[in-house]
Amino acid sequence: MKRFSREHTVGAALLLLMVSLAVVAPNFFDAQPFISRLASQMPALVLAIGVALVVMTRQIDISIGSQFGMCAVIAGTAAASGMPMPAAMACAIVAGLVMGTINGWLVAGLQLPSIVVTLATMVIWQEVLRLWQKGRLLALPDGVQWFGMSQSAGQATVICAAFLLLIMMAWGMKYLSIGRRVYAIGSNAEAARLAGLAPRLTTFGVFLKMGVLAGVAAVLNLVQSPQIQPNCGEGMELKAIAAAVVGGVAITGGRGTLFGVLLGMMLLANVNPALTHFHQPPYWEKAIQGLVILIAVAADRSRLRKQKQVT
Amino acid sequence: MKLSGTFKSWLGKHEIVLLLIIVVELVLFQALGRNFLTSGNVSNIFRHSAEIGILALVMTPVILTGGIDLSVGSLMGLCAVAFGMFVKVYGIDPLTAACLTVLVGGFGGAINAGLVANLKLPPLIVTLGTFSLFRGLAEAFTHGSESYSGFSEGFLALGNSDIAGIPAQIWIVILVGMTIWFLVHHTTYGRSLRAIGYGEEGARYAGLPVKRNVSIAYIMAGAVAGLAAVILVSRLGEARANAGIGYELLAITAVVLGGVSIFGGSGNVSGAVLGWIALAILNNGLTRISDYEIFGEKVSSVARELSGLLTGLLLIAALALAICMKTLAARRSAKQT
Repeated sequence: MKRFSREHTVGAALLLLMVSLAVVAPNFFDAQPFISRLASQMPALVLAIGVALVVMTRQIDISIGSQFGMCAVIAGTAAASGMPMPAAMACAIVAGLVMGTINGWLVAGLQLPSIVVTLATMVIWQEVLRLWQKGRLLALPDGVQWFGMSQSAGQATVICAAFLLLIMMAWGMKYLSIGRRVYAIGSNAEAARLAGLAPRLTTFGVFLKMGVLAGVAAVLNLVQSPQIQPNCGEGMELKAIAAAVVGGVAITGGRGTLFGVLLGMMLLANVNPALTHFHQPPYWEKAIQGLVILIAVAADRSRLRKQKQVT
Repeated sequence: MKLSGTFKSWLGKHEIVLLLIIVVELVLFQALGRNFLTSGNVSNIFRHSAEIGILALVMTPVILTGGIDLSVGSLMGLCAVAFGMFVKVYGIDPLTAACLTVLVGGFGGAINAGLVANLKLPPLIVTLGTFSLFRGLAEAFTHGSESYSGFSEGFLALGNSDIAGIPAQIWIVILVGMTIWFLVHHTTYGRSLRAIGYGEEGARYAGLPVKRNVSIAYIMAGAVAGLAAVILVSRLGEARANAGIGYELLAITAVVLGGVSIFGGSGNVSGAVLGWIALAILNNGLTRISDYEIFGEKVSSVARELSGLLTGLLLIAALALAICMKTLAARRSAKQT
């Protein structure tokens, strides 16, 4: 019961937001815009799943926005040069894998602090992208949008794919040894090492998965619009990390569930549409998101303190 | 005795490496670029990076405590907007407005300080939250797009004129630098920062006022972010909500490049200053390269855009070098004993 209290609070906040929206602006729930909105939030959700794993191992990856952008542009360029869609998707995922490997090697292999490493790779990929694209919009060929299907079928595919991924990952985190290892190493890397686990290998694997998920997120994003913005992925790292933290993933590692990440993402992602539906100016979005993050960490602290008093 | 000697020589080495990097940069850009080592351009190098310089200086105490402040860039945006509003909306004279802006910055820093020092929340995530909060407030106050301009000549002179042959804002950087250097290296406060960085619990048991000292570091960072905002506004002549985007990363890069450990506890101010200078020269020097063509494309246009990329690579290289030297030093001392 105690373990899930964060999920309960965030779930309650989300429910409250949805109920008040249903009362004040029932057209928020009109099927078509609702599904479009949900589909557009899926890439960020996939990124948040990845970064949640990274944070659970007590690391951080702030290069995911840039990784996402690189993967999207690589897949887009591949598709624009006439490659079939599956090949373009593979390109995005391989690109993510390579970037994840670099981060993983620097963090787990050379034992450099992940905050600085990913700060550097964030700048590097961002600049590579800027040099390469020079601010151009990249137009995508016809077959790419919605995987060449109708809009509603495409949106359904995107949402189903993201949720399938979420369920699989959540199951793996709970029932597979590879998932339990992440918690063990995030709680106490030295104890985990003495217990015969391989902290460095697991950390490396987590960064690798992060890269692959950045590739998947890029594909899910790619199929939703006819072109790629030159600055795509900017600020995504903060959205994803914020979603993980709000969803109850402890920044000190070892704790959190992917279901909580989903709730956190939904809460943060609906701030902006809710503002519009409440007829409030949209430029308060960032300030509110910042406040939500601060409240979430502060709440985390008071809960931990209470637990300490009990034991 | 021997160990402290090795440690000292390692620190010395790090700064020598930085000096070497700076010399290489100077020689390279002088050879490749146009009008690089002219007095006009040298003062340009410093004028355009003064804000990063003071941010790097106040980031040093924060990182020494094992913390980090990602919110300084966003706080600059909020402070720039506050300054613009003080002068343009409320008609306050620039000097008083600048003082008020520094107060606003200090208040922003106090929010970080309260959450990090008093509630003991992780600084990375707290300042990530305020990073979003401060920028969001700046955007909300300006309705996303408004900006303030048309400041008085006297105020703009701060950002664009020279005093005794040195850009006016560099005097501020020197003043801030001297203060921070004195605080970090010659007071018990500075000692306590390292102690906290090495082990907060230990520092607390040793009777150090951990809460107070960590708070001061964050409040100082906030106040100086306000000062940096004033300097930026006076240089650009415009106050917008997007002032200082990405500055926190540049400041952290300069500090880490300068050999301050990101885990806290070790590093010095002179290193951070050298790191800042190395970055500033790199950014300026690349814009000076011209007259070469590679693959039919003018090098000048490519070089100008390479600065961010090289900054990132330089950061990783500096880190890897520091780690290598540390292991080498450890191996050497292990052999000796």
